[in-house]
Amino acid sequence: MSWLSRIGNVFRRRSHVQEIDREIAFHIQEATDRLEAEGMPPAQASQEAARRFGHQPTVRERVRDVDIYLWLESLLGDLRYAVRTLLRAPGFTVVAVVSLGLGIGANTAIFSLLNAVILRSLPVARPEQLVKLTMGSETNDVFTNPLWEEIARQEEIFAGVFAFSSQRFNLAPSGQARLVDGAYVSGGFFSTLGVGAEAGRLLAAADDQRGCPAVAVASYGFGRSEFGDAAHAVGQIVSVGGQPFSIIGVAQRSFTGVEIGRSPHLYLPICTEPLIDGGKGALEERSNWWLQLMGRIPPAGSEAQVVARLGAVSAELFRATLPGDWSTEGQQNYLKRTVTAYPAATGLSEVRARYRMALMILMAVVGVVLLIACANVTNLLLARAAARQRELAMRMAIGAGRGRIMRQMLTESILLALLGGGLGVLFARWSTTVLIELIGQRGGQVALDLSLDGRVLGFTLLVALLTGVLFGVAPAWRSVRLDPQVVLKSGGAGATAGSSTLTAGKLLVIAQIALSLVLVATAGLLLGTFRSLSTLSPGFHPEGVYLAEVQFGSLDMPEEQKPVVAAALLERMRNSPGAPSASASVITPVSGRGWNSFLLTQGYHPSGKHDNLVWFNGISDRYFATMGTAIIAGRDFTGQDGTTGPRVALVNQALATRIFGKVSPIGKTIWVHNEQAEPPMEVIGVVEDAKYQSLRDSVAPTVYVPWRQAEHFGSLIYEVRSNLPPAEAVAGILAAAAAVIPSASLEISTLPGQLADSLARERLMATLSGFFGALALLLALIGQYGTMAYNVTRRRKELGIRVALGATRGGLVRLVLGEVGRMVVIGLALGTLATFAGTRLVTAFLYARTPLDPLTLVIATLAVAVVSVAAGAIPAVRASRQDPQSVLREE
Amino acid sequence: MTRPRNDILQGTLVLLILRTLAVQGKVHGYAITDHIHRVSAEQLRVEEGSLYPALHRMEQEGWVKAEWGTTEKNRQARFYSLTAAGRKELVQEQERWTRLTQGVGRVLRFA
Repeated sequence: MSWLSRIGNVFRRRSHVQEIDREIAFHIQEATDRLEAEGMPPAQASQEAARRFGHQPTVRERVRDVDIYLWLESLLGDLRYAVRTLLRAPGFTVVAVVSLGLGIGANTAIFSLLNAVILRSLPVARPEQLVKLTMGSETNDVFTNPLWEEIARQEEIFAGVFAFSSQRFNLAPSGQARLVDGAYVSGGFFSTLGVGAEAGRLLAAADDQRGCPAVAVASYGFGRSEFGDAAHAVGQIVSVGGQPFSIIGVAQRSFTGVEIGRSPHLYLPICTEPLIDGGKGALEERSNWWLQLMGRIPPAGSEAQVVARLGAVSAELFRATLPGDWSTEGQQNYLKRTVTAYPAATGLSEVRARYRMALMILMAVVGVVLLIACANVTNLLLARAAARQRELAMRMAIGAGRGRIMRQMLTESILLALLGGGLGVLFARWSTTVLIELIGQRGGQVALDLSLDGRVLGFTLLVALLTGVLFGVAPAWRSVRLDPQVVLKSGGAGATAGSSTLTAGKLLVIAQIALSLVLVATAGLLLGTFRSLSTLSPGFHPEGVYLAEVQFGSLDMPEEQKPVVAAALLERMRNSPGAPSASASVITPVSGRGWNSFLLTQGYHPSGKHDNLVWFNGISDRYFATMGTAIIAGRDFTGQDGTTGPRVALVNQALATRIFGKVSPIGKTIWVHNEQAEPPMEVIGVVEDAKYQSLRDSVAPTVYVPWRQAEHFGSLIYEVRSNLPPAEAVAGILAAAAAVIPSASLEISTLPGQLADSLARERLMATLSGFFGALALLLALIGQYGTMAYNVTRRRKELGIRVALGATRGGLVRLVLGEVGRMVVIGLALGTLATFAGTRLVTAFLYARTPLDPLTLVIATLAVAVVSVAAGAIPAVRASRQDPQSVLREE
Repeated sequence: MTRPRNDILQGTLVLLILRTLAVQGKVHGYAITDHIHRVSAEQLRVEEGSLYPALHRMEQEGWVKAEWGTTEKNRQARFYSLTAAGRKELVQEQERWTRLTQGVGRVLRFA
């Protein structure tokens, strides 16, 4: 019976028992035949045969006990023996377990991240029935409210459909803003997802009607942190965007929303949006795309059916919501759109889109780290198997089968791997908090559940078992191939297998050097990218600039009053202590917000479809002075520009070159080519290029207009450049706001912080790849050192003789280092080839360097070379120090 | 369960099975009892309650291997045969048995 089928016996109880029963039945049949042949009548014969056999269930149980007991006993025996062997060599065991622990821990940690971000289904009922709605491609997934209301009417297509919009709500009624993640949701949100209430009641269709009362549902976590517990939250009033909302219920504890990485604390009906954003809000706007839609496939239906039925009603949906103010061409394109559906069991996620590729690459990186760790352990085991030759030969001589010895050796390596796996889980647990910090997202921490669920633990177990087999097979195989006779006769350690052990060991060290070069080079590229991005000159000077955002939309004052107050606040800020330079704008650089339109001018014909798609910002006077962007030609806005008189604009150099070529744009007239007809503007100045959407993108052609000229006036961000200590600078801003608009609440941040947030993914990649690169190097160093130390010990006698014959210490060191050098050179050569192939994977993450950046490769190669040679040099020097007399006398 | 008086001495069963398999080659459990019963001139009867656990234990030890096959009466049966380790074990068991019987014989003669 094979080892596997024995394991099977324990778990496949039924078929095992059936097999025993078949055997017993056969026996009784044969006995019956015999009795019949002796003349007994058939019926009596079978009875007699069964009687003579004895009590069948007892026999069956005894047979079964034998099978299982002996298997368990031999397993326990192997385990006991393995534990004893490992305890006898504590140094070896610790190095092996820690190497594996680091390798497996890295894999577990990255996998738990991958699991949380990509693999895990939403914590709702039957998540596989959920789909998200899009227009055409999978990423085109935001809808207008009129369009949503049309789709909501098609409810018979779904077993529930809902809309939602992730938001950050401000809970502070005035003063400094207090932001929490939240969402506007339609009435069918909770019922479609099948989420229950922890306390009170959840939002229903009746709550989501025009002019609805200001009610909210809190998350379980919010209920607890704000009001002590879920039940107390019901009936409480919270201020959201300055408006009082009453909490009608608390959602089920396990529910964390439908977006991975962002868990809303407050759910507001979509109909309350105008209360917070002011004015008429976005409910009637046919060009305001802000809602995401999800539906549940009916139990009897399929995704294909839902897609087909959505396709059939699409024309009707878009006809009913056609934006009247669009150009004819725009309207025609609008009518051609179709609504379709994609599977959404794992929910929606901005974090996932941003980190998917990064996590895959990190998974590959930790896989390589684990390989290096495995190579280490294999090397240690090989060396130890050589040292254990006598023991094994002895066991074989007294009758242990080769299979038995191999099984014993494999039990040892799997035990090592499981210990490593256990340690790895501890490492992973500890590291997940660090990982969450690293994966940050704009304006807050990412909400990810990195608990080690069954899938993660299963993954770890599988990885541990696989690694155990991977690094255990070679040493086990080698150890049973010895001829016990030869080993026992040779008397000493390292007879026949010695030299081949060494060759295998050297090959592993070469592989380690090669693999660690790949990781170090990759880390170098990613670290270099992060450094370039965080030190590049973005076209403005972020240091010392504070950003204060004020939502004018929800302020309780007449609309025409708001711009006046906004301007007054700017003046007040400029007169704050320290007399800072201050300005205001609709958009700040690298904030994730953008505003673009097609631009036209006299005599300009765009050559490509998007050639004249340019970016806009609405700004106050002295914006460029505050940001530290130079005005190259013409003049800045004045405080009066944009209020009355002709419309004016400043453009950046990129735009001047793109649209006007070599001609000076100053004095030229430009206009927006939009769905709506916009009045023309006169260009009054040209400014230095500055980054707009991201630090990575090349500078986009940009038009700056006075903020009063901007499309809609919802919020303004004040930039304040201050030399005061942070606390005083913030206090100054808050005091100015309190004096001008006491009811306003300000969200204060810093421009350098905003830039750093935008590089979160780069920071994650750089930090982790740097860490794993260093880890790879450390593991390779241990492996190299171990191999050389073992090698030198084995050659003690030879080296002693050389010294006795007059070799100098320097000569000995050179001799040993020569060997190290050969391994390092081969390893680096192979590593360079592997790097050429491997770094191509990170191309998309690099900035201002190719995957084969020569400087990075040279530095990485040098780093690996220095570490490897150093690891080999220590045993070399030690070898040269030994006293030849004492070595030779040992014999 | 009462033991029949002609039950086989504990420990010798393994030896008898090994020997039977060495002579008979590949046989099933019933044939083993039958063979022992016949060859011992009906002096020894192997109790089934001991035979099958013993066979399975020997399989675990690697002395015998088992596989399902068909008898001449076209019945499915589990056939046992000796392994190399089983042959070695047989030699050792035989030596042990000889020493034991010689020892017991001497004691009976001189005691």
